[in-house]
Amino acid sequence: MLRLSEIAESMRIAVSSVRANLMRSILTTSGIVVGIFFVVLMGVFIKGLDSVWEKTISIIGKDMIYVDKWDWAGGHSWRKAETRKDITYEQAEALCLRLESPELAMPLARRWGGSIMVGNKAMNCSVMGTTSMYGQTPAGEIEFGRFFNPMEEQQGTNVTVIGFGVAKTFFPDGDAVGKTIKIKGYPFRIIGTIAKRGFLFMDFIDNQTFISLEAFKSIYGFQDRSFEVGIKAGNERMLDLVRDEAVGVMRQIRNVPPGAVDDFSINEMKAFDSQATAIRLGIWVVGIVLTALSFVVGAIGIMNIMFVSVTERTKEIGIRKAIGARRASILMQFLLESSMLCIAGALIAIPLVQIVVFSIRFFLLNILEMEAIEAVSPLLPVDLLAIAIGVSIVVGLLAGFLPARRAALMDPVDALRFE
Amino acid sequence: MTSDAIILITNISRSYTMGDEIVRALQDVSVSIGKNEYIAIMGPSGSGKSTLMNMLGCLDTPSSGSYFFNGVDVRTLSDDDLADIRNKEIGFVFQTFNLLPRASALKNVELPLIYAGLSSDVRHERAVEALTSVGLESRMSHKPNELSGGQRQRVAIARALVTRPSIILADEPTGNLDTKTGQEIMALFQHLWEQGNTVIVVTHEEDIARHAHRIVRMRDGLVESDGPNDAKTI
Repeated sequence: MLRLSEIAESMRIAVSSVRANLMRSILTTSGIVVGIFFVVLMGVFIKGLDSVWEKTISIIGKDMIYVDKWDWAGGHSWRKAETRKDITYEQAEALCLRLESPELAMPLARRWGGSIMVGNKAMNCSVMGTTSMYGQTPAGEIEFGRFFNPMEEQQGTNVTVIGFGVAKTFFPDGDAVGKTIKIKGYPFRIIGTIAKRGFLFMDFIDNQTFISLEAFKSIYGFQDRSFEVGIKAGNERMLDLVRDEAVGVMRQIRNVPPGAVDDFSINEMKAFDSQATAIRLGIWVVGIVLTALSFVVGAIGIMNIMFVSVTERTKEIGIRKAIGARRASILMQFLLESSMLCIAGALIAIPLVQIVVFSIRFFLLNILEMEAIEAVSPLLPVDLLAIAIGVSIVVGLLAGFLPARRAALMDPVDALRFE
Repeated sequence: MTSDAIILITNISRSYTMGDEIVRALQDVSVSIGKNEYIAIMGPSGSGKSTLMNMLGCLDTPSSGSYFFNGVDVRTLSDDDLADIRNKEIGFVFQTFNLLPRASALKNVELPLIYAGLSSDVRHERAVEALTSVGLESRMSHKPNELSGGQRQRVAIARALVTRPSIILADEPTGNLDTKTGQEIMALFQHLWEQGNTVIVVTHEEDIARHAHRIVRMRDGLVESDGPNDAKTI
C-alpha cells in the first residue's frame, strides 16, 4: 500500500519534473494534444448530429405514422414495393374513416417534383394534396397565415399553404401570405406558410406546398397514383395500438389473405434513423482512426521521453531507494509524470477544440444560416471533457509503464553508482 | 559474538559476473556489530569494503552465507522489506553527499520521513530538529548548490539521522572535503556516537579510521583483521 505522503511526494516530483523541462514536455505532449483534439471534436459532432436529429424528429412528430405503398427505409424493400398495387384514393379514404384509435387520419396525395412558379422564377418542389386536418399535425404547423379550412377543402378552392423552403425561395422577406403562386400553371393564393420543419438531410420536407385533395385532383388527377394515409396517434404510447389497428384495417381493405405479408408499408420517422446512424458511424470511424493514430504517435513520444527522464534521474532513483523508497513509490512517481504530460496535452487541446467548435458553430449558424445548429451547445459538454481527461490519463499510464517499471526495478547499488 | 548484535554476518560471499569473468568481491566474511559501536571498515580500493557496506546497508544481498539485522534474516526479505529496513534502521552518508539538487536542505532531510509515511507536520518538526543538531538551522531553505561541501555533508548526516536509525553507515564521508572540514565532520560522528548511535565508517584513510574504536581491515574480499583501534585519537 502506498502511503499518502508518498503519493503527495510523487505528485510534487512529477509536477516539478514537467516544469523543469517545460519546452520538452510541451513538444512531447503534442501527439496527445492532437489525439484529444480529435476525440473531443468527434464527440461534439456526434452529439451535435444527435441533437439536431432529435429536434427534427420531434418537430415532425414522433407519434406520426404513414401508411404507404413505399417503404421509406428503401433498399431491398423498395424493389419489393414496386410490385405492390397502388393504394387508391378510395382505399385511403376508407382507412381514414374506419380507424378508431388515432387522433387524426388523412389521405395524402403527393406529386414529387411539381413545378411551381412566382413571376418568372420557378422551382421544383413536392406538391401535397391533403385535408384541412394536416394543419393540426406538427408537420403542418403554421408560421404565418393559416391552413386551408374544410370549406375550401370541399370546394377545391385554389388556395395553398407553402413550406418554409418555398417561402424562403420566393419570398425571402416573409411576405408570402396573400401572394399568388402558380402550380403547374394554375394560380393559387397563398394563405399560410409552414414553420421550418426539416434539418440536416431532412431539409426536403420544407420544400413542399400543400393544396386540397380536390384541387390536387383537378390539377394532377387521381388515376395512376398511390395515396398515402398520414395518421397522428395522439401520443407516443398510442403508437403500437394505432399501428396494429391500421395494419388490420388496411389488410381488410386490400383483401390481404390471412398468413400473407402486408402489401403496404407502415412508415415512421424512425425509418430515417438508419441514415443518422450511418452518418454517426462514419464520423466515428474517421474519428477513431485519426484519434488512434495520434494517440499511438503521442504515446510513443511520451514513452521515449520517459525513458530519457528515467535515465537522467538514475542517480536520484538510487538515492530515493537508498533512503527507503519502495518499488511502488518509484513506479508511481514516473507514472504520475507521464500521466501529467498527457493531462497537460488534454488541457492544451480542450481550449483549442472549444475555439474550433465555437467558430464552426458561428460559421454554420450565421454565415450558412443553418438554424438547426442552434440545438448544438456552443460549450463543450462536461462528459466529453471527462472522457478526454480520462483517455489522456490512460494513455499516460500505458506510455509510462515500461519506463516507470525500469525505474522501479533498478538496482539501488547500480543506480547510486551512475554518473 | 554478542547476542545483542545489531548486525550479525556469518560466512557471506558475494560474486558478480563481469562478462565471462566471475568477480569474488567478498569471500567468507563474518562480522558482528553491537549497539553503540564505532567501527571503521578499511581497505584499499578493490578490497571489497564497498561491497560489504552495500551488504550492511541492505542495498545488496549476499550470494551465500547469512546476514541477521536486528535478528531478522535479511536474505529472506523482499525488495520492499529491504527498502523499509533502509528507511527505518539505516542512515546512509555518502562520499558524494547524494542530495537531491532541486530540493532545499529541509526537503532533503524530510525525504526519508516521506517514505516512512509520516505526516507533513511531524516531518517538518523532525527535519528541523535534525538540521539543528548538525548546526544548519540557518541554512534550511538553501538548495545543495548554495551550500559548501561541509554543509552538504551535514545535510546528508541530518538526513541519515532523521529517522532515528539503528546504525549510521558512512561511505568515505570526508572523501570530497578538505582536511579541516573533514575533521569537523568526524567530530560530528564522534558526537553522534557519544549520544548512543552505532556508527560504521568505510574509508581507505588511516586518519579517518583512527577516530573509530574498532577497525575491520579488508583485502581481496577477505577480512584481514578485526580488532580494537589502539591508536584511537579521541
